[in-house]
Amino acid sequence: MKSKFISSQRLTWIMLLLPFGLLLFSLGLGPYPLSPSDVIKTLLSPFISAINVPEAFSVIIFRIRLPRLCLAFLVGAALSVSGASLQALFKNPLINEYILGLSSGAAFGAALSLVFLGQNFPPQLAAFILAVVAVGGVLLIAGHSETHLITLILTGVIMTAFFSALLSLVEYFASPYALQSLFFWLMGNLSLATWKDIILAGPLMTFGIIVLLLLRWRLNVLSLSDDQVKALGINLRLEKILVILAATLATAAATSVVGIIGWVGLIVPHLVRMMVGPDNRLVIPLSATVGASFLILADDLTRNLASFEIPIGILTSLIGIPLFIVLLKKTQRVWL
Amino acid sequence: MNIKIKQLKFNYPNFSLEISDLSLTEGRVTTIVGPNGAGKTTLLKCLSGLLTIPPGSVFINGSDLTTLKGGQRAQLISYVPQEMTSIFNYKVLDFVLMGRAAYLPLFSPPGEKDQQLAREALTYIGLNNYAQRSLFELSSGERRLVLIARALAQQAQILFLDEPTTFLDPKNEIEILQLIKKLSLEMKKTIVLTLHNLEVAAAYSERLVFLKKGRVIAWGEPAEIMTESLLAKIYDVSFKIIDWQGHKFLLKGHQE
Repeated sequence: MKSKFISSQRLTWIMLLLPFGLLLFSLGLGPYPLSPSDVIKTLLSPFISAINVPEAFSVIIFRIRLPRLCLAFLVGAALSVSGASLQALFKNPLINEYILGLSSGAAFGAALSLVFLGQNFPPQLAAFILAVVAVGGVLLIAGHSETHLITLILTGVIMTAFFSALLSLVEYFASPYALQSLFFWLMGNLSLATWKDIILAGPLMTFGIIVLLLLRWRLNVLSLSDDQVKALGINLRLEKILVILAATLATAAATSVVGIIGWVGLIVPHLVRMMVGPDNRLVIPLSATVGASFLILADDLTRNLASFEIPIGILTSLIGIPLFIVLLKKTQRVWL
Repeated sequence: MNIKIKQLKFNYPNFSLEISDLSLTEGRVTTIVGPNGAGKTTLLKCLSGLLTIPPGSVFINGSDLTTLKGGQRAQLISYVPQEMTSIFNYKVLDFVLMGRAAYLPLFSPPGEKDQQLAREALTYIGLNNYAQRSLFELSSGERRLVLIARALAQQAQILFLDEPTTFLDPKNEIEILQLIKKLSLEMKKTIVLTLHNLEVAAAYSERLVFLKKGRVIAWGEPAEIMTESLLAKIYDVSFKIIDWQGHKFLLKGHQE
Protein backbone atom coordinates (compact mmCIF):
# COMPACT_ATOMS: atom_id res chain seq x y z
CA MET A 1 0.00 0.00 0.00
CA LYS A 2 1.48 3.32 -1.03
CA SER A 3 0.40 6.60 0.43
CA LYS A 4 -0.77 9.08 -2.17
CA PHE A 5 0.18 12.15 -0.24
CA ILE A 6 3.67 11.50 0.89
CA SER A 7 6.75 9.96 -0.70
CA SER A 8 7.88 6.69 0.82
CA GLN A 9 11.31 8.09 1.60
CA ARG A 10 9.85 11.00 3.53
CA LEU A 11 7.53 8.61 5.35
CA THR A 12 10.54 6.53 6.40
CA TRP A 13 12.25 9.58 7.84
CA ILE A 14 9.12 10.64 9.69
CA MET A 15 8.80 7.18 11.23
CA LEU A 16 12.48 7.17 12.20
CA LEU A 17 12.37 10.54 13.95
CA LEU A 18 8.85 10.29 15.38
CA PRO A 19 9.72 8.92 18.86
CA PHE A 20 12.22 11.69 19.58
CA GLY A 21 9.63 14.38 18.88
CA LEU A 22 7.02 12.47 20.84
CA LEU A 23 9.42 12.15 23.75
CA LEU A 24 9.92 15.91 23.94
CA PHE A 25 6.19 16.53 23.59
CA SER A 26 5.28 13.93 26.22
CA LEU A 27 7.68 15.38 28.79
CA GLY A 28 5.29 18.33 29.05
CA LEU A 29 2.20 16.17 29.60
CA GLY A 30 0.88 15.19 32.99
CA PRO A 31 -1.00 16.39 36.05
CA TYR A 32 1.34 19.37 36.10
CA PRO A 33 1.62 20.43 32.42
CA LEU A 34 4.82 22.09 31.23
CA SER A 35 5.12 24.20 28.08
CA PRO A 36 7.54 22.97 25.38
CA SER A 37 9.92 25.85 26.13
CA ASP A 38 9.93 24.96 29.85
CA VAL A 39 10.66 21.33 28.93
CA ILE A 40 13.60 22.29 26.72
CA LYS A 41 14.91 24.79 29.27
CA THR A 42 14.75 22.20 32.02
CA LEU A 43 16.49 19.60 29.86
CA LEU A 44 19.31 22.04 29.10
CA SER A 45 19.64 23.45 32.62
CA PRO A 46 22.18 20.92 33.93
CA PHE A 47 24.48 21.68 30.99
CA ILE A 48 24.11 25.45 30.70
CA SER A 49 24.42 27.30 33.97
CA ALA A 50 22.82 30.47 32.55
CA ILE A 51 19.44 28.72 32.37
CA ASN A 52 17.54 28.73 35.62
CA VAL A 53 14.37 26.73 36.13
CA PRO A 54 12.33 26.13 39.28
CA GLU A 55 13.47 23.14 41.32
CA ALA A 56 10.04 21.54 40.82
CA PHE A 57 10.51 21.43 37.04
CA SER A 58 13.78 19.56 37.42
CA VAL A 59 12.20 17.03 39.75
CA ILE A 60 9.20 16.47 37.47
CA ILE A 61 11.32 16.08 34.35
CA PHE A 62 14.41 14.27 35.58
CA ARG A 63 13.04 12.16 38.41
CA ILE A 64 9.56 11.31 37.16
CA ARG A 65 8.84 11.83 33.49
CA LEU A 66 12.20 11.29 31.77
CA PRO A 67 12.98 7.85 33.27
CA ARG A 68 9.46 6.73 32.57
CA LEU A 69 9.46 7.93 28.96
CA CYS A 70 12.96 6.57 28.34
CA LEU A 71 11.77 3.23 29.65
CA ALA A 72 8.69 3.40 27.40
CA PHE A 73 11.00 4.20 24.48
CA LEU A 74 13.33 1.27 25.17
CA VAL A 75 10.61 -1.25 25.98
CA GLY A 76 8.55 -0.29 22.92
CA ALA A 77 11.61 -0.64 20.70
CA ALA A 78 12.72 -3.92 22.31
CA LEU A 79 9.32 -5.61 22.07
CA SER A 80 8.69 -4.48 18.47
CA VAL A 81 12.13 -5.39 17.16
CA SER A 82 11.97 -8.79 18.86
CA GLY A 83 8.49 -9.41 17.44
CA ALA A 84 9.53 -8.40 13.92
CA SER A 85 12.67 -10.56 14.05
CA LEU A 86 10.87 -13.65 15.32
CA GLN A 87 8.17 -13.20 12.67
CA ALA A 88 10.88 -13.31 10.00
CA LEU A 89 12.74 -16.19 11.62
CA PHE A 90 9.60 -18.31 12.11
CA LYS A 91 8.31 -17.35 8.67
CA ASN A 92 5.01 -16.35 10.21
CA PRO A 93 3.74 -12.79 10.58
CA LEU A 94 1.33 -13.77 13.36
CA ILE A 95 3.98 -14.70 15.88
CA ASN A 96 4.70 -12.46 18.85
CA GLU A 97 7.71 -11.89 21.04
CA TYR A 98 6.39 -14.16 23.81
CA ILE A 99 5.92 -17.24 21.59
CA LEU A 100 8.65 -19.34 23.19
CA GLY A 101 7.15 -19.29 26.69
CA LEU A 102 8.83 -16.06 27.71
CA SER A 103 5.87 -14.21 29.23
CA SER A 104 4.60 -17.05 31.37
CA GLY A 105 8.13 -17.81 32.55
CA ALA A 106 8.54 -14.16 33.55
CA ALA A 107 5.13 -14.11 35.24
CA PHE A 108 5.97 -17.22 37.25
CA GLY A 109 9.32 -15.75 38.25
CA ALA A 110 7.75 -12.52 39.42
CA ALA A 111 5.07 -14.47 41.28
CA LEU A 112 7.63 -16.63 43.06
CA SER A 113 9.50 -13.59 44.20
CA LEU A 114 6.46 -11.52 45.21
CA VAL A 115 4.65 -14.32 47.00
CA PHE A 116 7.38 -16.37 48.62
CA LEU A 117 10.62 -14.46 48.64
CA GLY A 118 9.35 -11.10 49.83
CA GLN A 119 12.03 -8.45 49.86
CA ASN A 120 14.92 -10.88 49.60
CA PHE A 121 14.89 -11.36 45.87
CA PRO A 122 13.87 -8.59 43.45
CA PRO A 123 10.92 -9.68 41.25
CA GLN A 124 12.63 -8.11 38.23
CA LEU A 125 15.58 -10.45 38.52
CA ALA A 126 13.38 -13.48 39.16
CA ALA A 127 11.19 -12.60 36.16
CA PHE A 128 14.24 -12.17 33.93
CA ILE A 129 15.81 -15.44 35.02
CA LEU A 130 12.64 -17.49 34.63
CA ALA A 131 11.88 -15.87 31.25
CA VAL A 132 15.30 -16.94 29.99
CA VAL A 133 14.88 -20.37 31.60
CA ALA A 134 11.55 -20.85 29.80
CA VAL A 135 13.02 -20.02 26.38
CA GLY A 136 16.17 -22.04 27.12
CA GLY A 137 13.97 -24.99 28.12
CA VAL A 138 12.06 -24.73 24.86
CA LEU A 139 15.29 -24.75 22.86
CA LEU A 140 16.61 -27.74 24.83
CA ILE A 141 13.42 -29.77 24.50
CA ALA A 142 13.04 -29.00 20.80
CA GLY A 143 16.69 -30.07 20.57
CA HIS A 144 18.34 -30.55 17.25
CA SER A 145 15.17 -30.54 15.20
CA GLU A 146 16.61 -27.56 13.44
CA THR A 147 14.35 -27.91 10.46
CA HIS A 148 11.16 -28.18 12.44
CA LEU A 149 9.99 -24.75 13.40
CA ILE A 150 6.62 -26.21 14.26
CA THR A 151 8.29 -28.32 16.96
CA LEU A 152 9.80 -25.19 18.41
CA ILE A 153 6.51 -23.28 18.40
CA LEU A 154 4.58 -26.22 19.87
CA THR A 155 7.19 -26.61 22.59
CA GLY A 156 6.72 -22.89 23.29
CA VAL A 157 2.99 -23.46 23.67
CA ILE A 158 3.63 -26.37 26.04
CA MET A 159 6.12 -24.36 28.08
CA THR A 160 3.62 -21.49 28.34
CA ALA A 161 0.97 -23.88 29.62
CA PHE A 162 3.39 -25.42 32.10
CA PHE A 163 4.44 -22.10 33.60
CA SER A 164 0.82 -20.89 33.66
CA ALA A 165 -0.03 -23.92 35.76
CA LEU A 166 2.87 -23.15 38.10
CA LEU A 167 1.71 -19.54 38.25
CA SER A 168 -1.79 -20.67 39.27
CA LEU A 169 -0.28 -22.85 41.94
CA VAL A 170 1.65 -19.92 43.39
CA GLU A 171 -1.45 -17.72 43.19
CA TYR A 172 -3.44 -20.36 45.06
CA PHE A 173 -1.07 -20.15 48.03
CA ALA A 174 -0.59 -16.39 47.90
CA SER A 175 -1.84 -13.94 50.48
CA PRO A 176 -4.35 -11.34 49.22
CA TYR A 177 -1.73 -8.63 49.62
CA ALA A 178 0.85 -10.52 47.54
CA LEU A 179 -1.84 -11.34 44.97
CA GLN A 180 -2.59 -7.67 44.55
CA SER A 181 0.99 -6.74 43.79
CA LEU A 182 1.26 -9.75 41.48
CA PHE A 183 -1.79 -8.71 39.46
CA PHE A 184 -0.40 -5.21 39.26
CA TRP A 185 2.83 -6.63 37.83
CA LEU A 186 1.05 -8.94 35.38
CA MET A 187 -0.92 -6.07 33.85
CA GLY A 188 2.23 -4.33 32.70
CA ASN A 189 3.10 -1.04 34.23
CA LEU A 190 5.40 1.89 33.63
CA SER A 191 4.32 3.95 36.60
CA LEU A 192 7.08 2.71 38.88
CA ALA A 193 9.84 3.45 36.39
CA THR A 194 13.09 4.70 37.89
CA TRP A 195 16.57 5.32 36.54
CA LYS A 196 17.59 2.13 38.31
CA ASP A 197 15.30 0.10 36.02
CA ILE A 198 16.92 1.70 33.01
CA ILE A 199 20.42 1.08 34.32
CA LEU A 200 19.58 -2.58 35.02
CA ALA A 201 17.50 -3.49 31.98
CA GLY A 202 18.53 -0.82 29.49
CA PRO A 203 21.89 -2.33 28.47
CA LEU A 204 20.34 -5.76 27.82
CA MET A 205 17.50 -4.27 25.78
CA THR A 206 19.93 -2.11 23.84
CA PHE A 207 22.25 -5.05 23.23
CA GLY A 208 19.42 -7.22 21.90
CA ILE A 209 18.10 -4.42 19.70
CA ILE A 210 21.56 -3.69 18.26
CA VAL A 211 22.24 -7.35 17.43
CA LEU A 212 18.89 -7.61 15.64
CA LEU A 213 19.50 -4.33 13.83
CA LEU A 214 22.82 -5.70 12.60
CA LEU A 215 21.09 -8.89 11.45
CA ARG A 216 18.34 -6.98 9.62
CA TRP A 217 19.25 -8.12 6.11
CA ARG A 218 20.08 -11.63 7.26
CA LEU A 219 16.50 -11.85 8.55
CA ASN A 220 15.25 -11.48 4.97
CA VAL A 221 17.20 -14.60 4.03
CA LEU A 222 16.16 -16.45 7.19
CA SER A 223 12.50 -15.80 6.38
CA LEU A 224 12.72 -18.12 3.35
CA SER A 225 12.05 -21.86 3.62
CA ASP A 226 14.75 -23.75 5.56
CA ASP A 227 15.98 -25.54 2.43
CA GLN A 228 16.55 -22.25 0.67
CA VAL A 229 18.25 -20.76 3.72
CA LYS A 230 20.69 -23.66 3.81
CA ALA A 231 21.20 -23.68 0.04
CA LEU A 232 22.14 -20.01 0.22
CA GLY A 233 25.01 -20.98 2.53
CA ILE A 234 23.60 -19.84 5.86
CA ASN A 235 24.47 -21.69 9.05
CA LEU A 236 20.81 -22.03 9.98
CA ARG A 237 21.20 -23.44 13.48
CA LEU A 238 23.74 -20.83 14.56
CA GLU A 239 21.89 -17.85 13.16
CA LYS A 240 18.54 -19.08 14.44
CA ILE A 241 19.94 -19.35 17.97
CA LEU A 242 21.52 -15.91 17.64
CA VAL A 243 18.21 -14.28 16.66
CA ILE A 244 16.30 -16.09 19.40
CA LEU A 245 18.95 -15.17 21.96
CA ALA A 246 18.94 -11.48 21.06
CA ALA A 247 15.14 -11.29 20.97
CA THR A 248 14.89 -13.18 24.26
CA LEU A 249 17.39 -10.94 26.05
CA ALA A 250 15.64 -7.78 24.87
CA THR A 251 12.12 -9.02 25.64
CA ALA A 252 13.02 -10.63 28.97
CA ALA A 253 14.80 -7.47 30.12
CA ALA A 254 11.80 -5.37 29.09
CA THR A 255 9.30 -7.70 30.71
CA SER A 256 11.28 -7.94 33.93
CA VAL A 257 10.96 -4.21 34.60
CA VAL A 258 7.52 -3.36 33.22
CA GLY A 259 5.61 -6.65 33.35
CA ILE A 260 3.73 -8.13 30.44
CA ILE A 261 2.79 -5.58 27.80
CA GLY A 262 1.00 -7.44 25.06
CA TRP A 263 0.39 -6.85 21.36
CA VAL A 264 3.19 -4.36 20.77
CA GLY A 265 5.44 -6.88 19.03
CA LEU A 266 2.61 -8.04 16.81
CA ILE A 267 0.98 -4.78 15.80
CA VAL A 268 3.96 -2.50 15.32
CA PRO A 269 5.79 -4.70 12.78
CA HIS A 270 2.52 -5.16 10.88
CA LEU A 271 1.98 -1.44 10.79
CA VAL A 272 5.53 -0.90 9.55
CA ARG A 273 5.28 -3.60 6.86
CA MET A 274 2.04 -2.04 5.70
CA MET A 275 3.82 1.28 5.22
CA VAL A 276 7.17 0.22 3.73
CA GLY A 277 6.88 -3.43 2.64
CA PRO A 278 8.50 -6.52 4.14
CA ASP A 279 12.22 -5.74 3.60
CA ASN A 280 13.71 -6.18 7.07
CA ARG A 281 16.47 -3.70 6.30
CA LEU A 282 13.70 -1.15 6.83
CA VAL A 283 11.26 -3.14 8.98
CA ILE A 284 13.69 -3.72 11.86
CA PRO A 285 14.90 -0.13 12.41
CA LEU A 286 11.42 1.28 11.81
CA SER A 287 9.88 -1.24 14.20
CA ALA A 288 12.26 0.11 16.84
CA THR A 289 11.20 3.73 16.35
CA VAL A 290 7.50 3.11 15.69
CA GLY A 291 7.42 0.70 18.66
CA ALA A 292 8.99 3.37 20.85
CA SER A 293 6.43 5.91 19.60
CA PHE A 294 3.55 3.50 20.15
CA LEU A 295 4.49 2.89 23.77
CA ILE A 296 5.19 6.56 24.49
CA LEU A 297 1.76 7.43 23.08
CA ALA A 298 0.10 4.64 25.02
CA ASP A 299 1.82 5.88 28.16
CA ASP A 300 0.61 9.43 27.48
CA LEU A 301 -2.91 8.04 27.32
CA THR A 302 -2.57 6.06 30.55
CA ARG A 303 -1.35 9.17 32.33
CA ASN A 304 -3.83 11.66 30.94
CA LEU A 305 -6.98 9.82 29.94
CA ALA A 306 -8.49 9.56 33.40
CA SER A 307 -7.86 10.96 36.85
CA PHE A 308 -6.37 7.60 37.82
CA GLU A 309 -3.76 5.62 35.91
CA ILE A 310 -4.70 2.69 33.70
CA PRO A 311 -2.02 -0.05 33.53
CA ILE A 312 -0.36 0.26 30.13
CA GLY A 313 -0.62 -3.48 29.40
CA ILE A 314 -4.41 -3.22 29.45
CA LEU A 315 -4.33 -0.17 27.22
CA THR A 316 -2.00 -1.66 24.58
CA SER A 317 -4.35 -4.64 24.32
CA LEU A 318 -7.42 -2.42 24.16
CA ILE A 319 -5.89 -0.27 21.41
CA GLY A 320 -3.96 -3.07 19.79
CA ILE A 321 -6.64 -5.64 19.19
CA PRO A 322 -9.16 -3.39 17.36
CA LEU A 323 -6.31 -1.80 15.42
CA PHE A 324 -5.12 -5.23 14.40
CA ILE A 325 -8.60 -6.25 13.24
CA VAL A 326 -8.86 -3.07 11.15
CA LEU A 327 -5.43 -3.69 9.63
CA LEU A 328 -6.27 -7.28 8.76
CA LYS A 329 -9.60 -6.34 7.18
CA LYS A 330 -8.29 -3.38 5.29
CA THR A 331 -5.16 -4.72 3.73
CA GLN A 332 -5.95 -8.45 3.49
CA ARG A 333 -2.41 -9.74 3.29
CA VAL A 334 -0.82 -7.78 0.50
CA TRP A 335 1.91 -6.13 2.54
CA LEU A 336 3.26 -9.40 3.85
CA MET B 1 33.48 -28.18 -12.01
CA ASN B 2 33.10 -31.93 -11.81
CA ILE B 3 30.94 -33.85 -9.41
CA LYS B 4 31.92 -37.35 -8.47
CA ILE B 5 29.64 -39.67 -6.52
CA LYS B 6 31.11 -42.74 -4.80
CA GLN B 7 29.07 -45.07 -2.61
CA LEU B 8 26.46 -42.46 -1.76
CA LYS B 9 23.86 -43.77 0.65
CA PHE B 10 20.89 -41.98 2.10
CA ASN B 11 17.98 -43.51 3.98
CA TYR B 12 14.46 -42.46 4.76
CA PRO B 13 12.30 -44.82 6.85
CA ASN B 14 10.79 -46.49 3.77
CA PHE B 15 13.26 -45.52 1.11
CA SER B 16 16.95 -45.80 0.44
CA LEU B 17 19.08 -44.05 -2.12
CA GLU B 18 22.23 -45.90 -3.13
CA ILE B 19 24.52 -44.73 -5.88
CA SER B 20 27.81 -46.56 -6.24
CA ASP B 21 29.53 -44.57 -8.95
CA LEU B 22 28.45 -41.58 -11.04
CA SER B 23 30.31 -38.62 -12.54
CA LEU B 24 28.75 -35.39 -13.70
CA THR B 25 31.02 -33.28 -15.84
CA GLU B 26 31.65 -29.64 -16.48
CA GLY B 27 29.66 -27.61 -18.95
CA ARG B 28 27.06 -30.28 -19.47
CA VAL B 29 23.38 -30.51 -18.78
CA THR B 30 22.53 -33.73 -16.98
CA THR B 31 18.91 -34.60 -16.39
CA ILE B 32 17.75 -37.04 -13.77
CA VAL B 33 14.57 -38.82 -14.81
CA GLY B 34 12.49 -41.54 -13.28
CA PRO B 35 9.07 -42.27 -11.80
CA ASN B 36 7.60 -40.44 -8.80
CA GLY B 37 9.37 -41.50 -5.63
CA ALA B 38 12.48 -42.68 -7.48
CA GLY B 39 14.62 -40.34 -5.35
CA LYS B 40 15.35 -37.60 -7.90
CA THR B 41 14.81 -34.71 -5.51
CA THR B 42 16.55 -36.61 -2.70
CA LEU B 43 19.59 -37.07 -4.93
CA LEU B 44 19.67 -33.36 -5.78
CA LYS B 45 19.35 -32.45 -2.11
CA CYS B 46 22.17 -34.85 -1.18
CA LEU B 47 24.38 -33.31 -3.85
CA SER B 48 23.63 -29.74 -2.75
CA GLY B 49 24.31 -30.44 0.91
CA LEU B 50 20.72 -29.98 2.07
CA LEU B 51 20.61 -33.55 3.41
CA THR B 52 23.29 -35.05 5.60
CA ILE B 53 25.35 -37.60 3.68
CA PRO B 54 28.25 -39.84 4.79
CA PRO B 55 31.71 -38.28 4.35
CA GLY B 56 33.64 -39.33 1.28
CA SER B 57 30.59 -39.97 -0.88
CA VAL B 58 30.35 -36.81 -2.97
CA PHE B 59 33.33 -34.88 -4.33
CA ILE B 60 33.23 -31.45 -5.93
CA ASN B 61 36.36 -30.97 -8.05
CA GLY B 62 38.10 -33.47 -5.81
CA SER B 63 37.11 -32.04 -2.44
CA ASP B 64 34.70 -33.86 -0.16
CA LEU B 65 31.32 -32.08 -0.05
CA THR B 66 30.88 -32.80 3.66
CA THR B 67 34.08 -30.93 4.55
CA LEU B 68 32.84 -27.69 3.00
CA LYS B 69 31.27 -25.06 5.24
CA GLY B 70 27.84 -23.74 4.27
CA GLY B 71 29.17 -20.53 2.82
CA GLN B 72 31.95 -22.24 0.83
CA ARG B 73 29.49 -24.78 -0.51
CA ALA B 74 27.02 -22.10 -1.57
CA GLN B 75 29.74 -20.33 -3.52
CA LEU B 76 30.21 -23.52 -5.56
CA ILE B 77 26.70 -24.90 -5.72
CA SER B 78 23.37 -23.22 -6.11
CA TYR B 79 20.13 -25.08 -5.65
CA VAL B 80 16.94 -23.93 -7.32
CA PRO B 81 13.91 -25.34 -5.50
CA GLN B 82 10.78 -26.44 -7.30
CA GLU B 83 8.64 -23.63 -5.97
CA MET B 84 9.28 -20.20 -4.61
CA THR B 85 8.04 -20.23 -1.05
CA SER B 86 8.19 -16.89 0.65
CA ILE B 87 5.66 -15.85 3.25
CA PHE B 88 6.68 -12.23 2.80
CA ASN B 89 6.02 -10.34 -0.40
CA TYR B 90 9.52 -9.09 -1.15
CA LYS B 91 10.47 -7.02 -4.17
CA VAL B 92 12.01 -9.11 -6.96
CA LEU B 93 15.39 -7.34 -6.69
CA ASP B 94 15.52 -7.84 -2.92
CA PHE B 95 14.75 -11.53 -3.42
CA VAL B 96 17.48 -11.99 -6.05
CA LEU B 97 19.87 -10.13 -3.76
CA MET B 98 19.50 -12.92 -1.19
CA GLY B 99 21.66 -15.03 -3.52
CA ARG B 100 24.60 -12.99 -2.20
CA ALA B 101 24.28 -14.31 1.37
CA ALA B 102 27.21 -16.73 1.05
CA TYR B 103 29.58 -13.84 0.30
CA LEU B 104 28.48 -11.55 3.12
CA PRO B 105 29.67 -11.66 6.74
CA LEU B 106 26.98 -12.18 9.37
CA PHE B 107 26.35 -8.53 10.18
CA SER B 108 26.80 -7.02 6.71
CA PRO B 109 23.91 -6.09 4.49
CA PRO B 110 24.65 -6.30 0.75
CA GLY B 111 26.54 -3.41 -0.82
CA GLU B 112 26.55 -1.67 -4.19
CA LYS B 113 28.48 -4.51 -5.87
CA ASP B 114 25.92 -7.06 -4.71
CA GLN B 115 23.08 -4.85 -5.96
CA GLN B 116 24.86 -4.64 -9.30
CA LEU B 117 25.25 -8.43 -9.55
CA ALA B 118 21.60 -8.93 -8.68
CA ARG B 119 20.57 -6.46 -11.38
CA GLU B 120 22.85 -8.16 -13.92
CA ALA B 121 21.29 -11.53 -13.04
CA LEU B 122 17.82 -10.10 -13.66
CA THR B 123 18.96 -8.64 -16.96
CA TYR B 124 20.44 -11.98 -18.00
CA ILE B 125 17.13 -13.79 -17.58
CA GLY B 126 15.33 -10.91 -19.32
CA LEU B 127 13.40 -9.54 -16.37
CA ASN B 128 15.30 -6.29 -15.82
CA ASN B 129 12.03 -4.36 -15.71
CA TYR B 130 10.82 -6.51 -12.83
CA ALA B 131 13.25 -5.31 -10.17
CA GLN B 132 10.67 -3.32 -8.22
CA ARG B 133 7.74 -5.72 -8.71
CA SER B 134 6.50 -7.82 -5.81
CA LEU B 135 6.92 -11.60 -5.75
CA PHE B 136 3.21 -12.25 -5.36
CA GLU B 137 2.45 -10.46 -8.66
CA LEU B 138 4.57 -12.89 -10.70
CA SER B 139 3.24 -15.71 -12.87
CA SER B 140 4.62 -19.18 -12.16
CA GLY B 141 6.95 -18.94 -15.17
CA GLU B 142 8.29 -15.63 -13.95
CA ARG B 143 8.75 -17.06 -10.46
CA ARG B 144 10.95 -19.85 -11.85
CA LEU B 145 12.99 -17.30 -13.76
CA VAL B 146 13.45 -15.17 -10.64
CA LEU B 147 14.63 -18.27 -8.73
CA ILE B 148 17.20 -18.87 -11.48
CA ALA B 149 18.25 -15.21 -11.31
CA ARG B 150 18.87 -15.62 -7.59
CA ALA B 151 21.04 -18.68 -8.34
CA LEU B 152 22.98 -16.59 -10.88
CA ALA B 153 23.56 -13.84 -8.31
CA GLN B 154 25.01 -16.63 -6.18
CA GLN B 155 27.76 -17.03 -8.83
CA ALA B 156 28.17 -20.76 -8.32
CA GLN B 157 29.54 -22.88 -11.14
CA ILE B 158 27.28 -25.79 -10.31
CA LEU B 159 23.54 -25.39 -10.70
CA PHE B 160 20.97 -27.88 -9.46
CA LEU B 161 17.36 -27.37 -10.50
CA ASP B 162 14.50 -29.39 -9.06
CA GLU B 163 11.76 -29.81 -11.67
CA PRO B 164 12.19 -26.32 -13.09
CA THR B 165 9.39 -26.76 -15.63
CA THR B 166 6.62 -28.46 -13.66
CA PHE B 167 3.24 -26.75 -14.04
CA LEU B 168 4.50 -24.49 -16.83
CA ASP B 169 2.83 -24.03 -20.19
CA PRO B 170 4.82 -25.18 -23.28
CA LYS B 171 6.17 -21.71 -24.08
CA ASN B 172 7.45 -21.12 -20.53
CA GLU B 173 8.79 -24.65 -20.39
CA ILE B 174 10.87 -24.15 -23.52
CA GLU B 175 12.00 -20.70 -22.37
CA ILE B 176 13.34 -22.11 -19.11
CA LEU B 177 15.07 -25.02 -20.84
CA GLN B 178 16.66 -22.73 -23.42
CA LEU B 179 17.88 -20.52 -20.61
CA ILE B 180 19.40 -23.57 -18.89
CA LYS B 181 21.09 -24.58 -22.14
CA LYS B 182 22.43 -21.04 -22.54
CA LEU B 183 23.83 -21.10 -18.99
CA SER B 184 25.71 -24.29 -19.72
CA LEU B 185 27.11 -22.99 -23.04
CA GLU B 186 27.85 -19.36 -22.16
CA MET B 187 28.78 -19.63 -18.51
CA LYS B 188 30.17 -23.18 -18.64
CA LYS B 189 28.06 -24.15 -15.66
CA THR B 190 27.67 -27.76 -14.61
CA ILE B 191 23.93 -28.23 -14.56
CA VAL B 192 21.90 -31.06 -13.08
CA LEU B 193 18.14 -30.99 -13.17
CA THR B 194 15.18 -33.26 -12.70
CA LEU B 195 12.37 -33.44 -15.25
CA HIS B 196 9.28 -35.51 -15.91
CA ASN B 197 8.92 -34.76 -19.60
CA LEU B 198 11.18 -37.36 -21.26
CA GLU B 199 10.93 -35.83 -24.72
CA VAL B 200 12.31 -32.45 -23.66
CA ALA B 201 14.76 -34.17 -21.32
CA ALA B 202 16.19 -36.01 -24.32
CA ALA B 203 16.22 -32.88 -26.46
CA TYR B 204 17.90 -30.53 -23.97
CA SER B 205 20.39 -32.63 -22.08
CA GLU B 206 23.73 -34.18 -22.93
CA ARG B 207 23.33 -36.86 -20.30
CA LEU B 208 20.35 -38.68 -18.86
CA VAL B 209 20.38 -40.51 -15.55
CA PHE B 210 17.54 -42.99 -15.08
CA LEU B 211 16.64 -43.50 -11.47
CA LYS B 212 14.24 -46.04 -10.01
CA LYS B 213 13.64 -46.88 -6.36
CA GLY B 214 16.79 -45.05 -5.33
CA ARG B 215 19.10 -46.85 -7.78
CA VAL B 216 20.66 -45.71 -11.05
CA ILE B 217 19.32 -48.03 -13.73
CA ALA B 218 21.10 -46.48 -16.70
CA TRP B 219 22.97 -43.36 -17.65
CA GLY B 220 24.54 -41.91 -20.76
CA GLU B 221 23.72 -39.94 -23.88
CA PRO B 222 19.99 -39.75 -24.55
CA ALA B 223 20.23 -41.07 -28.10
CA GLU B 224 22.09 -44.15 -26.95
CA ILE B 225 20.31 -45.19 -23.82
CA MET B 226 16.70 -44.16 -24.31
CA THR B 227 15.20 -47.35 -25.63
CA GLU B 228 11.66 -48.69 -25.51
CA SER B 229 12.68 -51.61 -23.34
CA LEU B 230 14.54 -49.41 -20.83
CA LEU B 231 11.61 -47.00 -20.51
CA ALA B 232 9.21 -49.87 -20.01
CA LYS B 233 11.45 -51.30 -17.31
CA ILE B 234 11.75 -47.96 -15.52
CA TYR B 235 8.17 -46.73 -15.68
CA ASP B 236 6.29 -50.08 -15.71
CA VAL B 237 4.30 -48.98 -18.71
CA SER B 238 4.87 -49.70 -22.41
CA PHE B 239 6.47 -47.04 -24.64
CA LYS B 240 6.78 -46.55 -28.37
CA ILE B 241 9.57 -44.24 -29.54
CA ILE B 242 8.97 -42.40 -32.80
CA ASP B 243 12.01 -40.79 -34.32
CA TRP B 244 11.31 -37.74 -36.46
CA GLN B 245 14.27 -35.76 -37.82
CA GLY B 246 16.35 -36.59 -34.77
CA HIS B 247 13.59 -35.70 -32.29
CA LYS B 248 12.18 -38.44 -30.17
CA PHE B 249 8.46 -38.65 -29.57
CA LEU B 250 7.00 -41.02 -27.08
CA LEU B 251 3.72 -42.82 -27.06
CA LYS B 252 2.89 -43.94 -23.58
CA GLY B 253 0.78 -46.95 -22.66
CA HIS B 254 0.99 -47.98 -26.29
CA GLN B 255 -0.69 -51.30 -27.23
CA GLU B 256 0.73 -53.10 -30.28
